Amino acid sequence: MQGMVSVKNLVKTFASKDETVTALNNVTLSTPANKILTLLGPSGCGKTTLLRCIAGLESPVSGEISIGGEVVWSKEKGISLPPERRGIGMVFQSYAIWPHMTVFGNVAYPLEIRKTPKQEIRERVRKVLELVKLSGFENRLATKLSGGQQQRVALARALVAEPKVILFDEPLSNLDAKLRESTRQELRDFLTELAISAIYVTHDQVEALTISDHIAIMRGGVIVEQGTPQDIYLRSNNPFVVDFIGRANFLDATIKGYKDQHHAIVSCALGDIVCSAPSDLGIGTKVTIYTRPESFEVAPPSSVPLENEFEGTVTSLLFAGEAHEAEILVGGARILAKLKFHIPLKKGDKVRLHVDREWCRALSPGEEA
Amino acid sequence: MTVLGRQSRLRLPLVGILIIAVGALTIGPVLMLVIGSFSKGIGAIGTFTIDKYVAAYTDPTLPKTLGNTVIFTLGAACFSTILGGLFAYLSVRTDIPFSGLFRILPVVPMMIPHVLFAAAWITLLNPTNGMLNLFLRNLFGLSSGPFNIYSLGGMIFLEGMLDLPVTYLVISPAMYSFDTTLEEASRVSGASNLYTLRRVTLPILKPAFLATFTLAIIRTLAAFAIPSMVGMPGRIHILTTHIYRIISVGWSPDYGRAAALGLIVLAASIVLVYLYRHLISEGSQFVTVTGKGYRPTVVELGRARYPLFILCIVLFCFLVVIPLATLIYMSFLPYSMVPSARAFSMMNMRNWHAVLRNSVIVRALKNSVFLSIAGATLGIVLSLFVAYVVVKVKSKGSALLESLSFLSFSFPGMIIGVGFMWFLVKTPLYATIWGLLVAYVGTYLPYGVRPLRSAFMQIDEELEESARVFGATFLRALKDIIVPLLAPGVVSAWILMACMFIRELSVSVVLSRPGTEVLTVEIMKLANDGLWGQVAALGIIMIGLSTALVLIASLLRIPLSHSEQ
Repeated sequence: MQGMVSVKNLVKTFASKDETVTALNNVTLSTPANKILTLLGPSGCGKTTLLRCIAGLESPVSGEISIGGEVVWSKEKGISLPPERRGIGMVFQSYAIWPHMTVFGNVAYPLEIRKTPKQEIRERVRKVLELVKLSGFENRLATKLSGGQQQRVALARALVAEPKVILFDEPLSNLDAKLRESTRQELRDFLTELAISAIYVTHDQVEALTISDHIAIMRGGVIVEQGTPQDIYLRSNNPFVVDFIGRANFLDATIKGYKDQHHAIVSCALGDIVCSAPSDLGIGTKVTIYTRPESFEVAPPSSVPLENEFEGTVTSLLFAGEAHEAEILVGGARILAKLKFHIPLKKGDKVRLHVDREWCRALSPGEEA
Repeated sequence: MTVLGRQSRLRLPLVGILIIAVGALTIGPVLMLVIGSFSKGIGAIGTFTIDKYVAAYTDPTLPKTLGNTVIFTLGAACFSTILGGLFAYLSVRTDIPFSGLFRILPVVPMMIPHVLFAAAWITLLNPTNGMLNLFLRNLFGLSSGPFNIYSLGGMIFLEGMLDLPVTYLVISPAMYSFDTTLEEASRVSGASNLYTLRRVTLPILKPAFLATFTLAIIRTLAAFAIPSMVGMPGRIHILTTHIYRIISVGWSPDYGRAAALGLIVLAASIVLVYLYRHLISEGSQFVTVTGKGYRPTVVELGRARYPLFILCIVLFCFLVVIPLATLIYMSFLPYSMVPSARAFSMMNMRNWHAVLRNSVIVRALKNSVFLSIAGATLGIVLSLFVAYVVVKVKSKGSALLESLSFLSFSFPGMIIGVGFMWFLVKTPLYATIWGLLVAYVGTYLPYGVRPLRSAFMQIDEELEESARVFGATFLRALKDIIVPLLAPGVVSAWILMACMFIRELSVSVVLSRPGTEVLTVEIMKLANDGLWGQVAALGIIMIGLSTALVLIASLLRIPLSHSEQ
């Protein structure tokens, strides 16, 4: 698939004092046009390096990068366009607002370089500042603004020249928690409204889930999984991804048979339960299954037992505002369940829980978390 | 603040006493300079006259002197700012080989006293028998040496190099804190490297460069060693040497006329210092939020890497290696000659003997060592009190004290020496070593207060408070917490001051009298007599003294750093 930005077999190493660190190990990635793709991973996974290679701020060792169908870097073809000729916009972690210029000066800069007529510059800067809700701030020194406002100046500057793609390098990490949440929402609205192609780097899972159309999870210089936020959160079979995104209960299990092509019956600490599993596992295969804490429901007391229902004892209970976080002992295993706050519970209670077969998944065997 | 209630009662008189003491040491000489400039003579203070101003400002040689001053000051300031900027950029921002080394090299010249630096280059580049000139003459068959150090160009060359440590130290923090994503943002916006340099990098560094330039001007305006040793033989006078001639040449030194002229230099310096402070604070406004985690790679020099490295090494040779080697070589020779088999066969210890058997020089040695140790100790004790009050006591008085202690930073030593002359003349300290001591401490107080002030600021209030909470008395907390944490800072400030006093010239040249001779002034006299071999020998002794001070202090510091942990 030819994407907006496509990266082929990219390798990047850093030479430090006495060892060579591989930051990107043969990365191939294609980003859909007019969508937001997030590179998510723990620190040191290579996500920022990949972004900076795409921007041209870092030189890869081998591979190929193209933006909007044009090759901007290729070892083989000997192409290496400098950042200024790649037609991109970028929002930096530190915002990188030029302190000696006004808001207008900062935002107009990309247009001035493109020798846009004065009248048009004024018009386009006005429009983009209106979009980011900074009208009337034109003549302020950019550094006299608050963090959130500086962030929006950086966004306006990245948008103004209508780049093929905008790169975001952890743009929200310098904001405080409250502001981060509202800015996240705003940013998501801007980008979907403008239908802009964007690559967004973050280490914050919630940020990635809420802001993206697609997520690529990186680890150790490799992309381990790519998909929609729902795919990643609910339907991943990769143990690293499951563990990295949100919380999960992992249980050892054995395949006992198949219900249909995608659903197997396994025996585990919860008893015999049905879970979604890869179709080609033989009977007796040892697997690891996982459930998300929020996928458990308390079964009505006198109802007929449902599929995947089991009984356990509450061993500890934490009231976390919107829910109870209960640790439940069942069949020798302890599982964490997030239960609705209005259900009366106390330590030592017996409780019957139910989990849908779709939210109970077997991991691909052979991969380590 | 209730815990501190008892102390504030102690603190109030302390602030008052300090303001009076520091005020006397800084404002006193300035006030006396003003009074002196309106007085008939050093023996007749207070008998009002404007004759001195008339005489000083109608001097027909003054316009030429002012012209020289402007050229010398701006030239040397430019040269040293460019040098400092170059070294700072290369060592902080680029992949130059041994960049760690380049962070130390620019400050090494601080160890070499200016008089000796001048002496070494004079023996190399004077037009009649400068060794380098002789060598080049023979090499190319020239009728005269190609270089003349006794020129404005020579003065600018030497003074510019000597101010490198200062400009480097001021400009390199700006390079360190420069957020490189500001440049990257410009590249990504579509700007080329050069356009980025012009529109982003240089404008952001501009306040730092201007501040550095201003500081370099302040320094060169006060410069005395180079102008007197290099300028005066070439009959190139600038304001400081012009004033020096008024008080040293002829039968009756005219301290009134010197004061009348000195006041404009002083006024200019004070204005420049406030400009400097303003520029520094303007520069700090440009500090923005910086990204965490990602440290961008350094600028790659590519093919220019090794040529630039060699250039830096050559500069370092000019600054340290060549002058030092020349001094050592000269100290063993009867007269200056180009190194040859004959020269080496003629080497002997006569210069060293002559210097060490000269009773005046031996006395100067003793005086300088005394002034250095006693002056640094007195200066640091006073600075400790001042710094403590400035940092820990927040009141109008402490703010005044801070301004006072900063003020003399701008005072040119030579001019303030004249001020101290007027200040001391009616006191029993006049023409004694104690007078010099007072003048040294007064003039160099900011160099003690500033490092100690930052040392105090680094000690978090809560460290002291937690000691109090856990049951220590005020004095106990002082002993257990403050003193051990402060000790390394105090030791290095003391060394800095002691080294400055060993090599002090511009105040001493005014106040030193028979009986209160000091090293640098004696070196200058030897140089005036053309005894370069003895200059070199005495100079090496002097450098040895400063080095010994540093060594002793660093030995002392080992147990101190243990108590830190």
